[in-house]
Amino acid sequence: MKKTLAYIFGAIAILSATSCGKDFLERAPKLSLSNAIALADYEGCDKAVHGAYYYISSTGWWGADRVIENEMRSGNGVKSSAVNSNRCTQGYNWNYTDDNTNTAMWAYCYYTASAVNNVIDALDAIEASEQDKNNLKAECLFLRAFAHIENVLQFGQPYTYKKDSPGVPYVFHTESDAKPARNTVEEVYNFAIADLLEAEKIIDPTYVRKSSVDPCSVVNIYTIQALLSRIYLYMGEWQKSADYATKVIESGKYKMWTAEEYPDVWTADKGSGEVIFEVYGKRSNGTYGNWDDISWLTNPEGYGDPQVSDELLGLYEEGDIRLETYRDFEKAPGCHWTTKYAGKGDNAAPDCNNVVIIRLSELYLNRAEAAVHGAQTGSTAVKDINVITSNRGAAPYNSVGNVDIQTERRKELAWEGHYFYDLARWGKSLVRNGGNFALISTNQNVEFPSYKWALPIPKREMNLNENLVQNEGYTTTTE
Amino acid sequence: MKKVKIFFTAIAALLSVLAYGQNITVTGVVTDGSNGEPLPGAAILVKGTSDGVVADAFGNYSINVPANATLGFTTIGFKDQEINVNGRTVINVALESDTEMLEDVIVVAYGTVRREANTGSVTSLKGDALAEAPVTSVDKMLAGKMAGVKITSGSGQPGSTSTIRVRGTSSLNAGNEPLWVIDGIPVMAQDFRQLSNAGVGGGSSSTFLNPNDIESITVLKDAAAASVYGSRAANGVILVTTKSGKSGKAKFTARAKYGVQDLINDNNLRPLTGAELLEYRRVAAINAGYNPDDPTSDYYYPQSLLADGTTNWYKELTKQGSLQEYEVNATGGNDKSSYYSSLSYHKNEGVFYGIDFQRFTARVNADASLTKKLKTGARISVSYSDSNSGQMGDLYYSNPQYSMWSILPWTPMYNPDGSYNTDISENSGTNPRADASLNIYNDKEYRLQGNMYLEWKPIQSLSFKTTDGVEYLGEYSRQYWDPKVHKGTSAAFNYWSYDIRYTTSNTITFNDMFGNHSVRVLAGQEAMTDKFELLGGYSPNVDPAIPYPTTSTPEDDQVEYSFGDESMLSFFGVADYNFASKYFVQASVRTDGSSLFGSKKKWGTFWSVGGSWVVTNENFMKSTQNWLNQLKVRASYGVNGNNNISAYRAYGVYGSATVNGGIGFLPSTPDNPNLSWEKNKTWDAGLDFGFFDNRISGSIDVYSRITEDMLLSKQVPYTTGFGSNFMNIGSLSNKGLEFQLDGDVIRTNDFVWSLGGNIAFNRSKVLDLGGSEFLETSDSRAGGSNGGTPVRIVEGKSLYTFYLRDWYGVNPSTGAGLWWTEDDKLTSDRTKARYIYCGSPEPKATGGVNTSLSWKGFSLSAFLEFVYGNKVVYTNNYIDDGYDMTVNTTTAALNYWTKPGDTGVSPQPVADNPGAYYVGYSTRFLQNGSYCRIKDVTLSYTIPSTITDKIKMNGIKVYVSALNPYTFHGVTAMDPELGTYGYTMGAAHSMVKSFIGGVEVSF
Repeated sequence: MKKTLAYIFGAIAILSATSCGKDFLERAPKLSLSNAIALADYEGCDKAVHGAYYYISSTGWWGADRVIENEMRSGNGVKSSAVNSNRCTQGYNWNYTDDNTNTAMWAYCYYTASAVNNVIDALDAIEASEQDKNNLKAECLFLRAFAHIENVLQFGQPYTYKKDSPGVPYVFHTESDAKPARNTVEEVYNFAIADLLEAEKIIDPTYVRKSSVDPCSVVNIYTIQALLSRIYLYMGEWQKSADYATKVIESGKYKMWTAEEYPDVWTADKGSGEVIFEVYGKRSNGTYGNWDDISWLTNPEGYGDPQVSDELLGLYEEGDIRLETYRDFEKAPGCHWTTKYAGKGDNAAPDCNNVVIIRLSELYLNRAEAAVHGAQTGSTAVKDINVITSNRGAAPYNSVGNVDIQTERRKELAWEGHYFYDLARWGKSLVRNGGNFALISTNQNVEFPSYKWALPIPKREMNLNENLVQNEGYTTTTE
Repeated sequence: MKKVKIFFTAIAALLSVLAYGQNITVTGVVTDGSNGEPLPGAAILVKGTSDGVVADAFGNYSINVPANATLGFTTIGFKDQEINVNGRTVINVALESDTEMLEDVIVVAYGTVRREANTGSVTSLKGDALAEAPVTSVDKMLAGKMAGVKITSGSGQPGSTSTIRVRGTSSLNAGNEPLWVIDGIPVMAQDFRQLSNAGVGGGSSSTFLNPNDIESITVLKDAAAASVYGSRAANGVILVTTKSGKSGKAKFTARAKYGVQDLINDNNLRPLTGAELLEYRRVAAINAGYNPDDPTSDYYYPQSLLADGTTNWYKELTKQGSLQEYEVNATGGNDKSSYYSSLSYHKNEGVFYGIDFQRFTARVNADASLTKKLKTGARISVSYSDSNSGQMGDLYYSNPQYSMWSILPWTPMYNPDGSYNTDISENSGTNPRADASLNIYNDKEYRLQGNMYLEWKPIQSLSFKTTDGVEYLGEYSRQYWDPKVHKGTSAAFNYWSYDIRYTTSNTITFNDMFGNHSVRVLAGQEAMTDKFELLGGYSPNVDPAIPYPTTSTPEDDQVEYSFGDESMLSFFGVADYNFASKYFVQASVRTDGSSLFGSKKKWGTFWSVGGSWVVTNENFMKSTQNWLNQLKVRASYGVNGNNNISAYRAYGVYGSATVNGGIGFLPSTPDNPNLSWEKNKTWDAGLDFGFFDNRISGSIDVYSRITEDMLLSKQVPYTTGFGSNFMNIGSLSNKGLEFQLDGDVIRTNDFVWSLGGNIAFNRSKVLDLGGSEFLETSDSRAGGSNGGTPVRIVEGKSLYTFYLRDWYGVNPSTGAGLWWTEDDKLTSDRTKARYIYCGSPEPKATGGVNTSLSWKGFSLSAFLEFVYGNKVVYTNNYIDDGYDMTVNTTTAALNYWTKPGDTGVSPQPVADNPGAYYVGYSTRFLQNGSYCRIKDVTLSYTIPSTITDKIKMNGIKVYVSALNPYTFHGVTAMDPELGTYGYTMGAAHSMVKSFIGGVEVSF
């Protein structure tokens, strides 16, 4: 009896101690996927790459601010006094401190980098064909390069001005305890180019991600080449910029919008004709901004703060079809707003809209600009510029100089987030006199060079990462 | 041990009597000297022999003895008595209870100890102290009764939870509620109901327990007492022991209570009457430059508004609630086995329409000796509760606690045809009475708690015990919106959830004495798994005739699903040693492995050491025994943990992300392999004393409790891919003093007056927030229509600090409201008012006082609770100085500026007041929250046994009781008790008072 009981108690103790072995304390979440499981196979990695496009569509980035804030800073926009929701003053006034700098942009760059770095690091171990893996990797490399270039444009001085000045940290492997220092502007550009060149090399030229409703919202070989053209242009690498522009132009994949098409293409559901890369606006997007969506922000019947400057409107000759991308508003006579984001009809109000990031016209403009700086393009600056004018109902050029190209670039790409960075790389000061420019006490005109052309690094990042240095001209009150 | 000895002696005595029956026969009754109740089973022994008998169930005995014999009367819990027969044939004996011995033993972690041997800080209550109070749950009864155990209600709704803080708040993101252990098994004590606890915010729920089933409750407060519960011990442990069976003939007890309930409103706050409001409005209109008698004016307020009569919405939306409770229990058994079983029903009809709470509980506790060395038993309880709620808590128009203050007195409750008036524009067309009668907010809870043990004692000093428990909790919630209330749209919500938990606890105990050395060593192992699952459906536009999901359009249905599981594995040991009952040392250690934590920190070890010295057991203290009968000093130190976080926080996970018209994955939580327990390091020093044979007794404790590795969401550089990570980085401290004193002021045979009290002082301080300047409190009530919280957690300050707009007062010459600005100027623009830190909702002192008078069968007892030195922000008065002319206001608004020179008043009301001085979370509504509440006054009468004996009853007791009859306070609110955070958010069900009568019969 005693013995039996001793066995029973012994058995209970041993059973409960051993059956509760190592696995007993492993309880993994079931309603979300742990990192290891999420990226364990091709399907998981594929979905993780689809997800990596997420932040680009955020209103803090290409969903709105990346376009609107730059237009407000560049002289293309004015802070509306007729319609006012207290938005857009900061960009217009150039009042940036480490407390109110564009922190969202900084965060989204690294969120995106983290999303793609995880996939790049996981790809080696998964079972899939080499080309399938390479296609995913090419998308990841593109997104990493794109995010960092976007970030260095905000927080660094122009490459063409001071390429050895601090840029932003270029993160190749996302680690939870890493505190990376800033790479120089030049290093960031070089890393981005290296990533893009590898992406161009390994991607299947026919590959397009199928999980996106809008094929223009995801990466293919021409997206990579178009971005390379833009980056080389920003570096003043004229020949390379022209060569990559030519690759895209001659692919025949994209077609110039005609003057007839032009006013209506902006509110289409999916990208057409010229669109090489864009944000696909949709109410179901996790990043959908609702009342902060770009369609409501640029609508005078909505928030309407970003109004078009008279100076910009004055550049267009009569009959230029591009004038049709500006609207007036009966309650504010004489004021104009862009209609490039008028709403695609996904919802009554607020609506949503696609936002074009790269399109074919830019590449013609890149190549024309490269040509006047001596690049051999197989075409001429005049020819390339006239491709634009002929499709816009504007008079053709007989000859073009650098100024003509700058003006034509401004007119064509206005309200698409370009002109501010163009001013910076051209080293042109901001001059806002006359017209409807509201008088502001500071920063009415901003000299180039000035520390103001690079935004201050966010205070929280400075406080959390002692390896970062603040941009010249700004102070950080560290805690 | 002693019990066993007596038992065997009694048996032996019985046998010997059978063998030697002669001489004279003595008969009599053995009774309890304190109340005259018979003492069944008392042993009667013939001195100097082994002869003896045992009294029967009615205390009667009969024994044959020599005429000159001496009889010894013995039973558990009473002092032995010897009586010379001297030829008498009838000897009735009243035994004096041995209080020392009764109180000797207290329940502690994994066993019991003699009070004398305890080295930690514990507080315990016996079941008798709990049985009469007419409340729904045990937690509510404990309020104010134990030093350092602060129990706060956020709501007076029947069945609502309580917030329990043992020695302050130790954590910001892990839980703060103590661990509940019932009969050795840790149980789930949180509220799982979906709809019935709104506006309260977490807390402990023990509604599933029938208070009368409880034998004792012990609260383990310091590390020495609690550390053996390891990673769950940081917030203290509440050990509940339910009643075991008592051997003997079946004894039944039946109880019935009935009572009524009303809202507490001891400062008589009410909405304005029609005449008062009209006057207030007219003043506001005139002050704004309008003529209230001009029909074309925006603010036309003629006397004729009152012509059709007015409605007192406070009165119409509240009613007298009722309480009833019925219970019957039985206990009995033989020398091998015993049982206790009970059945109870409780119903509480609320003071608002549509609110009630019902509960059934049933319990069987059984024990059996299988052999001399093997014992088994089971503790099984089932409960079912059914609660109907309204949309209490949040700022909804259908919440009567909110709308009774705002609906206008000239708005009628009913239409002329008798139906509910819903043409109430000031309340968005919602009539709360219509909502209460047509809408459904119902929770049903089914709970099973069961455990079984098997104990084997191969030798006297060694015991093996296994206790295995299962707990199942099923929850069904149903909400229905009737289209007549919700402007033509109907909706049904149905939720099912369950939580199931298995626990096994296995111990080996060695307990022996070698001369003056006494040793106890316990080693144990425990394992627990827990799984939770919820499935809910939202079905819009259901057919009111069939208000179930089957009649909604399937494509509009929405499904909600949630799942969580966790597991835990533990090994632990306790060692006690004492020398000559003078010097005691105790040490405990526990290693817990938990699935909740990171892969590198799965296991944690917790420990404690403690010692005590019973000074009065020293020889040199013999001379003082006549006045100082007990003096003990004790000290302890230990480290325990807090594992109260939700599952899977340590995992880096991908969530889904919708972009480009499809769904992808995105990192949603960073990986955190180092996520670990919060640690509480506690030291405690204490003194227990008893004077004049324990006529005065008490204890003093001083403690310090430092929380380290506190879990906080720490900001991290975005370059890591995340903005924040949940890390073990913070620190805070709680230090305090506790006093408990009990005494019998008068103690004669017939009359006893006892008085007791406790007071505790706790001071908290935030030591480290991991780099953040301040944090917001994580108040689960915040958000939505309720807005943000006015309480901040600031490094260097006490844990909770109000952060409010700074109100100056009224400009005495103009009657306008004024605020302080950042640059020390005054402004009437509230948006320019500065924010300041201004006091804490944490009380400086808390405690209670109890007293009882007993004379013969009568007993009058009273208990009051006090809270001192806390600040509260009460915002539900809606004193908006005319800003919102569409709603009613309260009598608190009538004290307004009328002429130059008036100070200490509200601004003069101005219609559509552009200044809008009403900012709820401002110092204007910050008040001293101290209060003193008479919690309970009970008068009872026990019918003398001379009468009950004649009608063959064991006892009859009747009583009347008042719960919360009056509260002394100066807060402009119905009641000052506003929960741990000390501010109103939304509009929670206000507190209630009850008056109750009951009868208890045992036979």
